Amino acid sequence: MDYSMEDTQNSAPDAQQSSKLNPSGQKSDTQSVTKRLQAELMQLMLSPSPGISAFPDADGNLLSWTATITGPTETPYEGLTLKLSFAFPNNYPYSPPTVLFKTPIYHPNVDFSGRICLDILKDKWSAVYNVSSVLLSLQSLLGEPNNASPLNAQAAELWDSDQAEFKRHVLARHQDLDDE
Amino acid sequence: MLSTVPLNVGRRRVCGSVFSPASLEAHPKSISDFQREQTPVASFQSSDSSSTFKADSQSTSFATIGGSTDAASPEEDTLNQARQAAKEFLSVPNLGFELLYNFRNTDGSQVLKEWNRFSPPSKETAEVLEYLMRTSPWTLFEWYGNDIRRHFLVNFRTGLSKLLKSPGEEGLLRTIVDCLQLARQIYLAPVVHYLLPLITTPHQGGFLAQLQRAFHTVVQYSLPWKKISPLLARELTQDAVVILGIDTLDEDSDPDRMSLDGTEMERAYSVSYKDWKQESPEARAHMIVDGEDGRVTIARDRLLAFLNGLQLVGLGGDQAQKVFANVMNIMMGDFIRAAYAGEWESPSTVPQHLEQWIENVYARLVVHVLAIIHSDPAGTQSGAMEVSLRDVEKWQVMGIARLGKLRVSELFDVIVDWPASSGAVEDLRRFTNNSSGARLYVTNLFSINLLQRLLHPGASTVEILQVYISIIRAFHILDPKGVLLDRIARPIRRYLRDREDTVKVIVSGLLADPATADGPTATGDTLAELAAELTKVPHHSMQNNRSELDYDDMYWVPDPVDAAPDYKKSKSADVIDSLVSLFDSKETFVKEMQTLLADRLIQKRQNYDQEITVLELLKVRFGDSALQACEVMLKDISDSRRLDLTVRNDQMLSGYRKQAGVGKLHAKVLSRFFWPEFQEQEFKVPDEINKLQERYATCFERRKDSRKLMWRNALGQVTVELELQNYTFKDEVTTWQATVIYAFQSDSSEPATKTIPELADELEMSPALVRSACLFWVSKRILTEVQRDTFRVLEILPTEDEEHHAHAAGDFSDVSDSEAGDTANAAAAAEAAAAAAAKESAEAAAMEKMNVYWQFIVGMLTNQGPMALNRIVMMLKIAVPGGFPFSNEELREFLGGMVSKGKLEIVNGGNYKIVH
Repeated sequence: MDYSMEDTQNSAPDAQQSSKLNPSGQKSDTQSVTKRLQAELMQLMLSPSPGISAFPDADGNLLSWTATITGPTETPYEGLTLKLSFAFPNNYPYSPPTVLFKTPIYHPNVDFSGRICLDILKDKWSAVYNVSSVLLSLQSLLGEPNNASPLNAQAAELWDSDQAEFKRHVLARHQDLDDE
Repeated sequence: MLSTVPLNVGRRRVCGSVFSPASLEAHPKSISDFQREQTPVASFQSSDSSSTFKADSQSTSFATIGGSTDAASPEEDTLNQARQAAKEFLSVPNLGFELLYNFRNTDGSQVLKEWNRFSPPSKETAEVLEYLMRTSPWTLFEWYGNDIRRHFLVNFRTGLSKLLKSPGEEGLLRTIVDCLQLARQIYLAPVVHYLLPLITTPHQGGFLAQLQRAFHTVVQYSLPWKKISPLLARELTQDAVVILGIDTLDEDSDPDRMSLDGTEMERAYSVSYKDWKQESPEARAHMIVDGEDGRVTIARDRLLAFLNGLQLVGLGGDQAQKVFANVMNIMMGDFIRAAYAGEWESPSTVPQHLEQWIENVYARLVVHVLAIIHSDPAGTQSGAMEVSLRDVEKWQVMGIARLGKLRVSELFDVIVDWPASSGAVEDLRRFTNNSSGARLYVTNLFSINLLQRLLHPGASTVEILQVYISIIRAFHILDPKGVLLDRIARPIRRYLRDREDTVKVIVSGLLADPATADGPTATGDTLAELAAELTKVPHHSMQNNRSELDYDDMYWVPDPVDAAPDYKKSKSADVIDSLVSLFDSKETFVKEMQTLLADRLIQKRQNYDQEITVLELLKVRFGDSALQACEVMLKDISDSRRLDLTVRNDQMLSGYRKQAGVGKLHAKVLSRFFWPEFQEQEFKVPDEINKLQERYATCFERRKDSRKLMWRNALGQVTVELELQNYTFKDEVTTWQATVIYAFQSDSSEPATKTIPELADELEMSPALVRSACLFWVSKRILTEVQRDTFRVLEILPTEDEEHHAHAAGDFSDVSDSEAGDTANAAAAAEAAAAAAAKESAEAAAMEKMNVYWQFIVGMLTNQGPMALNRIVMMLKIAVPGGFPFSNEELREFLGGMVSKGKLEIVNGGNYKIVH
């Protein structure tokens, strides 16, 4: 509940800072990042997985995306549409993207500003992961929260104690971004 | 006449010889004389005082002007009387201008008589004059000068201005000058004949000059220069054209006059570059210096005589020089245009010819003319100095600049005519080397030219590329450093990039048969020249790897000053490199190369040597890796041949016998990943063929483990042999055409009849394709269309006799014509149908592609929310690799379809929204 101390969560990795300080290599970096992201996009488009989808934002450099996850069935999130933002660092895929929930969500591993606690987005990141695998992991996280390291302690407690109450909280917190 | 015109003075370069005795014997004193005379002239020249001046001069007594009238002493009286007598002798009768005009063509003696100017003074008067001359000549001359003015204004002015107002008359100025010369004689004759001999020689010039000045002022006053100068310009032009030889050049372009005049003129004198070029170097100089003919001499004499008159009557001087300079300026431009336009042969000697012409013809005229119309009244001795050698050099530079200008304006045509026009580029090179502004001028003007004449939708890509290639070559000669080319090429390259078929044209050009490339532009639709270019030893590109910092390069020079900041020195005039580098990456190029290569490779041919050669040559340029796919494709083909042989052998060994009625099957095995996607129409091949294919596949799979054959039925050729009742037919056709005709096979004697829907069903082929195949066979006279979409085999070919009977009317040729026409029509129809079928399959492929884009659109709308059409298109262009090939309209139609299918909805303001 204390947001101020969560700044390190999922924040931009150091690598991004260093690459900004190093403009000489930036251009080729950006090019290879763009290429990789384009390939990922193509892959997402050609073999879409059900329930997840992602697309670059209109800023034209492909470095920020918006993704959509449909809540998996038989979870409190069933039927909900959840939006996320992806921000890719210049040295992607060697550093993980910054992923945030844009849709307000009530989840043990997501805080109220949408920051996510997921190991593969932090120290367990590897270059073989991609947008689609991150989204799939997040989709499964919705059904099986990692209550050992909660960002939202109340949610973690409710998940274990009272599923009905949990679902009520989820629905109360949820609002569709499209309806804005 | 007071002056003699030195007719032949022109042959020598010194022309200072002279005309008026006044100017000849000009005396230093004349300057002070001139100053003394200033006052009356000044008052006279202010326009509003002119009328009063007239009145004054008539009424003023002689003595008051004289200025020494204080006392009426007896001596004074004598003097006055003497003056009166002299005045009577000198005064000019007030005869009108008409008289003068009528006598304008005579030598003047008649006029002088008419005006009573020839009669010698009586003895008394002579004495009086002598007396006056001795005592106070100045006063007499001063009075006479004023009287000249008065008389001129009263008698001649109105006539002259009337003459001036009659416009457009030929030689108007000559008439005027003639009249004025007569007038001058009228005024000066008595003075010259009777007064001057009375004075001592050193003073004569001064007095005469004074009178002349009086005359000149009044003439200049009466004839406004504004009106005179265009007339003068016309006169000068008229003769200068002849003298400079420009008129003969114009005649060259006029064949009628040439044949008329050519014989009598004998063309002894010509400044024509063409004639000059044919001569030997020694004869060339001679030709220009000495070779003038009578016409020119006459014209020159005429002009010089006229100018002489002009100068005498006071219309020469500074102002005339200005007009002359103007005319000569125009003349130079005219000459260069007339002489050198379209003379583009190499090696070019145009600059030499031009320089010789300027030195010997142009400068000579200038010297002659300036010797006559000089501004300095005392400057006759310096006549030769008016034109210095430096001036001539300056004119030569100017001439070269004009030539350059001409060449720049012609440059586009020069480029189009390349390489027959390399001489013009040599000229231009000389021009651009001379000045730095010239380079900018060339590029600016040529760029504009290009935009207007080349870079528009009306020009085909082949044309543009052709011109671009010529530009590369021409500018390489013009400017080996490539700065100009760099500047010129930018807009062309940008434009070419926007053209969709540029890659295709280039690649097909590369693959064209170099043997046909002899006439560079002979083939209209391919750039076969490129193939020839490719086979040249690409030694340039081999040594390209030199970096900027090659310290051993002893010939290094810095980039030219006018190079653009991102200018990169192009190492050579390598056309292929320039064309290929049009595209950001080699990928576009290689992809097109693959497509074209694929088309060529699946054709049935004996060998593919040419393709192999081209590929090897390209590999030298691009490196092996870029063309790997093409390499694999070629390898597939050569492997297939070997494999085909092996499989065939295996089939024999394993006991399959060739069945009657079933042909041989050859296959080409292609590695799918390395070949471009083929668009094809699916259909069912005949069972017999199918069996053959299966057998082939088994044999193949036995040879190559874990490989599987997928048959591409639509690609390939079939040799068809048809046995009809009274003839046989053999030809090579496409597989689907063969399949369709195979369906007509029957053993019964009745000709088989089928309809298109039947066939389409039977063969699982699209109706359009079936129809196209049927029409093809109609054109081969195997089938006939008995009614719409129903075809029957034409078992018995109608003999010519029968046809002849059928077309009883009309002769044989008509019949065969109409027959040929029928077949041709059918063939055309077949082609059209095939095109339609191809289009259908292309459309299907496009739809297929659109489905991929649909995924993108779904992803976009899901994640980014509802979007307008424009935004969707923009995003697709960014996000889809290789860009989005459809137009807004096509996408709108597609999205409309999706809306009607219920997958999309249109929400506020035409935004598309995905329906969950």
